[in-house]
Amino acid sequence: MDIQAREENGVAVLSLSGRLDLASGSQLKDEIKKYLEKNVTSIHLNLAKVEFINSSGLGSLVSIMKEIRLLKGRFTMSDLASYVREIFEITQLSHIFEIFATEEEALTSYQTPVTPS
Amino acid sequence: MNTVIDRIGDLLSQLQSPDYYEREEAVKELGTYSQDEAVAGLVIAMEDPDLGIRELAADFLSQLSGPTAVQLLIRFLAHDDIGTRNLASEILVKIGNDAVEPLIEHLTVDDHDVRKFICDILGLIGDERAVDALCERLWDDNGNVVCSAAEALGEIGSPRAVTSLLAVYDKIDDVRLQAVEAIGKIGDPAALDALYQYMQSPDPMIKYAALEAIGTIGDARSVEKLTPVLTDADRLIAEVAMMAIIRISDRNQDKIDIDLPLNEFQEFLFDGIRNRNEEITRFTLKRLSHWFGSDVIRGLLDVVDFVDDDTLTEVTGILGQVGPSAGKLMTEKIKTGSTGLKLKLLDVIKQFVDESMAEELLPLVADPDPEVRQRVAHVLGIAGYDGAIDSLTNLTTDPIGHVRSAAYSALGWLCTESRADLLFTGLDDRYPDVRDAAMGALIVIGGRPVVEGFTRDLNHENPERQRLAVTALGWIGEYDVVRPLLSAINNPDPSIRRSAINSLTRIGQVDDLEPIVMALSDENSAVRKAAVTALLTLQGEEAIGEVRVLLEDEDVWVRYHTISTIGELGSRRYAEYILPYLDDEQDIIKIAAAKALAQLGNRSALPALERLRSEKNQDLAAAAELAVQQLGGKK
Repeated sequence: MDIQAREENGVAVLSLSGRLDLASGSQLKDEIKKYLEKNVTSIHLNLAKVEFINSSGLGSLVSIMKEIRLLKGRFTMSDLASYVREIFEITQLSHIFEIFATEEEALTSYQTPVTPS
Repeated sequence: MNTVIDRIGDLLSQLQSPDYYEREEAVKELGTYSQDEAVAGLVIAMEDPDLGIRELAADFLSQLSGPTAVQLLIRFLAHDDIGTRNLASEILVKIGNDAVEPLIEHLTVDDHDVRKFICDILGLIGDERAVDALCERLWDDNGNVVCSAAEALGEIGSPRAVTSLLAVYDKIDDVRLQAVEAIGKIGDPAALDALYQYMQSPDPMIKYAALEAIGTIGDARSVEKLTPVLTDADRLIAEVAMMAIIRISDRNQDKIDIDLPLNEFQEFLFDGIRNRNEEITRFTLKRLSHWFGSDVIRGLLDVVDFVDDDTLTEVTGILGQVGPSAGKLMTEKIKTGSTGLKLKLLDVIKQFVDESMAEELLPLVADPDPEVRQRVAHVLGIAGYDGAIDSLTNLTTDPIGHVRSAAYSALGWLCTESRADLLFTGLDDRYPDVRDAAMGALIVIGGRPVVEGFTRDLNHENPERQRLAVTALGWIGEYDVVRPLLSAINNPDPSIRRSAINSLTRIGQVDDLEPIVMALSDENSAVRKAAVTALLTLQGEEAIGEVRVLLEDEDVWVRYHTISTIGELGSRRYAEYILPYLDDEQDIIKIAAAKALAQLGNRSALPALERLRSEKNQDLAAAAELAVQQLGGKK
């Protein structure tokens, strides 16, 4: 799997392409860990080019989400192919992941100002 | 004409009848005439001993209007009976603009009560023509007339009256309150400097009215004048000042950029939300995104049961923004809130729920409302809280299917391999959505025990378990599911055979294609179609030798599918396999061939395709036309 990563307004944006399975899931976790270690806890995944995802890939996403939650961060996804959307529905993971139609919409949602007094 | 006048004369006599119904009939008929005599009759009926007759006459008079009616009605303003006076006033207000000029003419009559009534009526009519005459009445000898004139000017709302109102404020103590209130209603910024002075009045009523007036005028520059009043010792005055700021803020699209001691006004603001004051609600909610301490959140949580749905959505949105810092308060509130509130707050909490919040929420798994149990199951799963596993396990035996479904899903999200056996029992649930949820959970967990369990299920006595097994293995998609899926191609159920082939196609890493090749001759056409797709996807052009056999399949749809799938390979050398089908006896096959040839990009098909453009079957002609265009043929 290929991972193109960039940072935009404090959000790590990772665009994945290829198969998300055991090996690539682990690669993805390592990549995200690098950001979390830098205190970048807003992570967005663009899944437009993910052509296959299996049980291990789903498990990786769940585990990434848990880790980000522990750090009070935020984890979003966008551009799900119909195949990925279908497995998210079957597993009801669509209830727990914050999913946007497009990357632009997702990144805009990070701009809502919250400034505790 | 005389006949009409005679008739009206008779009706006037009838008005004196002791019989109620005769008088009522007379009034009704008089109401159909426009002659002054008839109007006079209706006016006489205004003194009828019976209220019903009086009201009927009043109703006709208000419809007739006209100068005679107005003049006669004005006379009734001096009537001894207060009921008649009020009725006359009411009709004059209904007559409205037509009554204004005659009323103005009577504003200087000797009877001060009549002058007062006329001021009141002119105020209610609200016609600006009365402004000058009313301004003159501000200097009337009678205090009641002056107050009514000031009030009427406020009702009319013309800035022309402001100078006179300010002048009368300075000269006559008794009218000050009405003058300030009128200035407020008029809303002319020219009065602001005076109002800032009145705001300093030792009389709390004047102070109150001035603050309200400043708020109504809505000028943003007033905020700095109002801010010091927020600390007034008189709480009521401070709250009116806050309300004025809120109004100004609302009027200026909330562009007031000034620090306000909002904490001091929490009770006032939350009371305003509770009482559905829209200005206060808008103002408060807008500030909550950057004004939240625990007291504020607690106050907000206390009012959410009182707001409408739109506001509740806004409130929950804000709570979501506030996030984890409000989590503990929300979990406290949720335990005692209404069902609606619980559901809303669970939706909010799920955005940031952590293990400690999840622990607080555990008692909700026993909530009497199934929707709450369902939602809390989701939230516990989202929290990733292992301490919820036992509670979620209990929910898998809930009497409500949706709750069981949510519990299974949540257990899957918790990735608890240790509960795989329990999840497998969910596959026997009587409801399909629960079975699917259990299957989904097992897919997320994956791993060897789950794959082994589903592999066993491929031979389960229950066909539904077989169906779920083949679907799940396909989605689990690990290498060790390939062998079981290949074996499932021999399953007696064609839907399972097809599903197994589709899953293998998706997984894409199949080293033994023999079972799929065998499926090309399956007795079921859907299986054969799946096999065509699988082989061409997995092997590409290597599979063409086996697959092309199905171009002669007995089932037209298998032939159609095979042609289409070969077309998707996009390699022009396979055009020779497809070309003969442009002459097939079935149009649907010709259409598939036309489309495939266009995809394969072989121009040798052009002559045959150009010929097909003149076919009677429009679908076929259109497919041929499109193919010709794609191949760059003649237009």
